[in-house]
Amino acid sequence: MYILLTIAAFITLFPLIIVLSSSFKNESELFNFPFRFIPEKVITTNFLRLMDRFPRYIWNSVKLTTTIVIVQLFTAATGAYVFTKLRWKGRDFIFGLYLASMMIPMQAVMIPQFLIIRNINLYDTHLSLVLLGAFTAFGTFLIKQYFMSIPDTYCEAARIDGAKEWTIFTTLMLPMSKAVLVTQVIFSFRFFWNDFFTPLIYITTPSLKTLPLGMTDFVREQYVYWGPQMAAALISIVPVLIIFLFGQKYFVQGVASSGLKG
Amino acid sequence: MNTTHSLRKTGTILSFLLPSFIGFLIFVFSPMIGAIALSFTNYSGGPNFRFIGLKNYMVAFTDQNFLSYLLVTFEFMTITVIFQIGLGLGFALLLSRNFKGCSTYRGILYLPNILSSVAVGLAFMFIFEPSSGFMNQLLASLGLPTSKWLASSKSSLSVIITIAIWQNFGYYMVLFIGGLQNISRTQYEAAEMDGAGKIKQFFHVTLPGLSPILFYGLTIAIIRGFQVFDYIYIMTGGQQGGGPAGSTNVLAFDIYLNAFTFFRFGYASAESVILMIIILAVTFLQSHGQKKWVNYDIV
Repeated sequence: MYILLTIAAFITLFPLIIVLSSSFKNESELFNFPFRFIPEKVITTNFLRLMDRFPRYIWNSVKLTTTIVIVQLFTAATGAYVFTKLRWKGRDFIFGLYLASMMIPMQAVMIPQFLIIRNINLYDTHLSLVLLGAFTAFGTFLIKQYFMSIPDTYCEAARIDGAKEWTIFTTLMLPMSKAVLVTQVIFSFRFFWNDFFTPLIYITTPSLKTLPLGMTDFVREQYVYWGPQMAAALISIVPVLIIFLFGQKYFVQGVASSGLKG
Repeated sequence: MNTTHSLRKTGTILSFLLPSFIGFLIFVFSPMIGAIALSFTNYSGGPNFRFIGLKNYMVAFTDQNFLSYLLVTFEFMTITVIFQIGLGLGFALLLSRNFKGCSTYRGILYLPNILSSVAVGLAFMFIFEPSSGFMNQLLASLGLPTSKWLASSKSSLSVIITIAIWQNFGYYMVLFIGGLQNISRTQYEAAEMDGAGKIKQFFHVTLPGLSPILFYGLTIAIIRGFQVFDYIYIMTGGQQGGGPAGSTNVLAFDIYLNAFTFFRFGYASAESVILMIIILAVTFLQSHGQKKWVNYDIV
């Protein structure tokens, strides 16, 4: 069994090993076979050749991902609160709509989305990406599941003491829900750091491009420079990899709770 | 007093609801209605457009190309679903028990799932480089025939299918491990007392216990299979992609091209409504099939 698992693990990791190793190889050495993990000559030229555009792309990605993650956390947590701890008419109906929207393919809404963004003159701006990313049905659902496990008596007790709902939300519910908030942050970070499709549609100005979009510059060029291409891939992989190494259990929790509604 | 109180209460509720609801209304709900409306028009971005009834749909379903895109999409979806669910289930069964190193193996097999499709696409374009890429050199050194991979209409879709499976089966594995660990030990002990062997236990305890999650995973895999886009764009040449010879032109890619390259918003909307109907049908079948096939008592 260990042999089978080790082979599977090796096949899974091998493409990443190739990326890592090739990022530091000379163009002349890239296609040498048998494959050598440690390059004959370790070079950093591949990374230096990215210096003209990629710092900008990376900064754009960092800035946008951070903003969207914070906005999503806010909309998802407030949504989760209003659907669990407050009572009002139509609550289940609206939450039902949120849930149903998870089944709507992105292709089915993207054309009107595009026309709306264009009409409010936000085409080719970072703000358009933030607005489009603000609502998350999955995140609202994820945090709602967690809030439901916190007994209402906590809130009731605070209300009797005269606490306002926003006070209960920020000083009672949020601190008790750190685990699920971290899961939500990790999931939305991963999604928007990697997101390619939305920037592809909305961003045309080179200086506004995000990292995944900037990386496709390579596909459009006539001659392919494999070394810099691998270096760029490596740069985009490393941040998610670091988060994964430290927060593997949050990824597992996120995937597992997505199955809860099944 | 009472009205100010209830007004304040409504205000509080709205202050919590609106942050998510505004986004939902403007960027999810209305666009969905808008897409259906647009699909009955010949809108192409300019001021002159009109209602043309079902014409876009008729054009789509009588267009040989559209039907071939649909076929490619089905092919991609079917093969990726079979392998992703199969491998996911297989490795979940191996890794659901706790043994030394199990979480490391789980982590490694899940890892590709968190990576960006662009990085993955670029990496595999290098590995499957048609002349002297790693895969061809490996095959040649083993005395096996080489291939043009993405540059040949015979193999391009298979390459993309392989990559999709490589990147995604770990997600289903993690999903199923969660499901397997929810099946209580006493179920297995009871089955063992009745003299059921490993195989019998699998069919009488494991599968029924896992069925809700299995069904959910299957639905998600089918839905995602229908929506494949990123790999196609990245690996087959951006806006000129979908080739060679249309061999990798899937529905989502054609919607993208029609909408954002040719600005045929009306026709692209009709295509996207067709995609939405397919996906809603799958979801509907799932929720109905679930009642029939899924065993909830056992969990």
